[in-house]
Amino acid sequence: MKLFDYRFKSVVAILRKDFLIGMRRRATFAAMMMFALTAVASLSLSTSGAFVEPKFLAALLWVVIFFAASAGISGTFDDEATAGTLPTLKLYAPAQAILFGKMIYVFLSLVALTIFILPIFLILFDAPIENFLLLVATIFLGLIGVAAAGTLTAALTTSATVKGGLFPILLFPVTLPIFLPAIALTELSFTGAAFEASSLIVMAVFDLILITASSILYDYL
Amino acid sequence: MITFDDVSLSFGRRELFKNISLKLCGGKIIGVTGANGAGKSTFLKLAGKIIQPDSGSVNFPADKKIAAVTPEMKIYDNLTALENLKFFSELRGKNLSAEKILELGERVGLDLETFGNVRVENFSTGMRQRLKFAILLSVDADIWLLDEPTANLDDAGRDKIFNEIRAAKSGKIILLATNDKLEENICDEIIRLPL
Repeated sequence: MKLFDYRFKSVVAILRKDFLIGMRRRATFAAMMMFALTAVASLSLSTSGAFVEPKFLAALLWVVIFFAASAGISGTFDDEATAGTLPTLKLYAPAQAILFGKMIYVFLSLVALTIFILPIFLILFDAPIENFLLLVATIFLGLIGVAAAGTLTAALTTSATVKGGLFPILLFPVTLPIFLPAIALTELSFTGAAFEASSLIVMAVFDLILITASSILYDYL
Repeated sequence: MITFDDVSLSFGRRELFKNISLKLCGGKIIGVTGANGAGKSTFLKLAGKIIQPDSGSVNFPADKKIAAVTPEMKIYDNLTALENLKFFSELRGKNLSAEKILELGERVGLDLETFGNVRVENFSTGMRQRLKFAILLSVDADIWLLDEPTANLDDAGRDKIFNEIRAAKSGKIILLATNDKLEENICDEIIRLPL
């Protein structure tokens, strides 16, 4: 219990530190938000108000989230490595606390990104929401998966020399099993058609697998 | 005790350590000296299991905690001195009181009442070094890895740090990598690494 308490405090300390630095530097948040905004505005202008199939709308939303997330998540460990603070952090903090502190930080950053971009996306594409709860649940589970896979991928690519290109290449196949049900469920939330709860359960199970695998693999990095 | 058991390590064609076996005991300051490139910093990293040897093993009890002051281990420029100090001590489960923070600052010669809320990016190299040492003192570690710990300090700062190292040695394993004669002089035992 004491060990758990100590690790929990370490996770909270890392999370708080990352937010403090993130708010002071603002570069990472700005990159994510600007990428998402530019992508949504460009896509919206190119369709010129024409009707877009809910299936394409759902795919567009997740493409925007994926690439905007890529712009932000890759710096999670990279910024520490560049500043030379990663060896210090690794020396003082338990490995699992570093992973989960950063994973929760990435997840909350993605939530902030989605809160920012979703209303703009829905307004610009005039997208109807027939099942709001389903949309929220899908985005919630989708973001957990992206955060878990993204954090591990960011840790993996920190020592790579071509990390900029490597990060999305490695992240995409890992998150694909999350994206496919996420796109299908997002489409259903736009159309209001009946959905099977099993799709949400599949996403939740895959999230769990990603978190567990990240936790096991991180110890070997 | 830190045990090196048949440890070998090479970087490319350079064989830095070959089949080293030794025991590093607590209660004394162990200096690690040698020419540039002899492997002093690498020896410290091996001792702290920060890097792994190519073969052989380095062992110490799992419950022993490590802290370090080395040029490679940076602190957060975007955080203030107090935020850095609190952050690293929280990672080791310590909650520092205001009095304790001021006391730590005094022990390393850093006025945290004045500079506590200043971001580290505005600190001189010597002030950063003092803050790193305050962090090391705050976390109650069993093994200290010190790589030229007083390299950027003035005489007063150097004396304070030497006093802290001397006072802390009982019950700790202190490894000090250096080429500085003054730093060598505070060591109880010296390991000289050949080039």
